[in-house]
Amino acid sequence: MSDNVIIKTENLCKFYGEKIHALENVNVEIKKGEVVVVIGPSGSGKSTFLRSLNMIEPATSGKVIFDGVDIMSAKVNINLHRQRMGMVFQHFNLFPHMTILRNMTIAPMKLLKQSKAEAETKAMELLKRVGLDDRAGAYPSQLSGGQKQRVAIVRALCMNPDVMLFDEPTSALDPEMVGEVLSVMKQLAEEGMTMVVVTHEMGFAKEVSNRILFMDEGKILEDGSPEQIFNNPQNERTKDFLRKVL
Amino acid sequence: MSLKEQFILNFVEDDRWKYLTNGLLNTLTITVFALLLGVVIGIVVAMIRTTYDKTKDSLKKRNKIGYSFFFIVNSICKIYLTVIRGTPVVVQLLIAYFIIFAFSNDGIMVASIAFGINSGAYVAEILRGGIMSIDVGQFEASNSLGFNYVQTMIYVIIPQVIKTVLPTLLNEMIALIKETSIAGYVGIVDLTKGGDIIRGRTFSAFMPLLAVAAIYLVIVSFLTFVLGRVERRLRKSER
Ligand SMILES: Nc1ncnc2c1ncn2[C@@H]1O[C@H](COP(=O)(O)OP(=O)(O)OP(=O)(O)O)[C@@H](O)[C@H]1O
Ligand SMILES: [Mg+2]
Repeated sequence: MSDNVIIKTENLCKFYGEKIHALENVNVEIKKGEVVVVIGPSGSGKSTFLRSLNMIEPATSGKVIFDGVDIMSAKVNINLHRQRMGMVFQHFNLFPHMTILRNMTIAPMKLLKQSKAEAETKAMELLKRVGLDDRAGAYPSQLSGGQKQRVAIVRALCMNPDVMLFDEPTSALDPEMVGEVLSVMKQLAEEGMTMVVVTHEMGFAKEVSNRILFMDEGKILEDGSPEQIFNNPQNERTKDFLRKVL
Repeated sequence: MSLKEQFILNFVEDDRWKYLTNGLLNTLTITVFALLLGVVIGIVVAMIRTTYDKTKDSLKKRNKIGYSFFFIVNSICKIYLTVIRGTPVVVQLLIAYFIIFAFSNDGIMVASIAFGINSGAYVAEILRGGIMSIDVGQFEASNSLGFNYVQTMIYVIIPQVIKTVLPTLLNEMIALIKETSIAGYVGIVDLTKGGDIIRGRTFSAFMPLLAVAAIYLVIVSFLTFVLGRVERRLRKSER
């Protein structure tokens, strides 16, 4: 396995109960610095795939190799690996009983044993970059959706992750707030962060990603650069899907 | 007999008021110890039940022995909840006093334990409801940062649960104070029994029983007032 592969899945399968086969033998390699966008119709398994990467929703069988370690193995302490994979959710999932600053510092302080000052300096720096340093003392309920999602992104960044996973980060936002979140993500991509992004934002996919995975019925049907996928899709279902969304 | 004469007869003569004050003291003692025990039992049972529900699937795959052990402990908790919530508290008190703790004649202690075990079942279900009411996204976000189950509980879930269940817990405490009025069944002179003893001595029911009712009412009103304040503060901090 080449050195710059950060995540690799081998024959990843996921069943919900007996009948629903949400992932069918998914084999993917994601390299360091790649920005991979996952697209596909509703129910095709995009979230399941993404959530299997940090085992928030563990796959039923197969391997997830993260930085050379099969994290599906029972011997592995998954929590240590999750520290290195940030995740951003559709519904933000900020902790409502903590201030923005506390949301961002609690994990570095408790898990990375950073001092309060150290964690807060880093958090404030990140907040400044997303233009929210003046809201550090606010509670999540006092922020708009777009602001919450920007906080959720920098909260994950406080752990210095190697990879960032995004599950439809803009789907719950009012249209006028989508842009501010996408621009933070774009900035992150430009800085070289490895990103896996499930999104319906085709503009973001075209402009920012280096690679697109098209999923349907639990399988990756097409895997290629944005130019390939958008201009010259091979699979009938990809064509069909793109016709509907573009 | 004038009201004044009644008052003197029921409360002043032979220091009969002491039945009420000593009774009240016993009522409060039983309530406080039962509440402490109930909260401890409630937390333990709620943690076992919710941890089991949330981790059984992954545990089944990873650790068969741990899973079997956990399954048994969880089943015991379920039986406890079913039995306690399915039988009258008076019956539980009688069983505790005359069967389980038949060797002991410390009624107050037995009653504290019996009411504590009873209240533990209700507290457990209140807490479990509170934990289940927290959005799964909170667990997921916490896990995605690298927190394990226990850390997630301590830093993320429990502080939110406390906020949501505090009013219900205070209500449980109010109910408990009134419930202890059956302690007389096992020979404890609590507030209710104290008033009843006075009635038996003086052959006048009016004053002692109304006094008992008034004392309960004052305590419950005070707690209800506190409850109202707590609820208002919690609502404020939501915003
Ligand atoms: N917790 C669950 N229990 C049972 N079935 C589930 C669960 N989560 C997802 N599924 C099923 O698995 C399949 C894949 O779902 P998934 O959420 O991964 O799709 P998706 O591509 O993310 O869809 P969407 O675009 O709507 O978010 C669907 O058939 C879905 O109904
Ligand atoms: Mg999804």
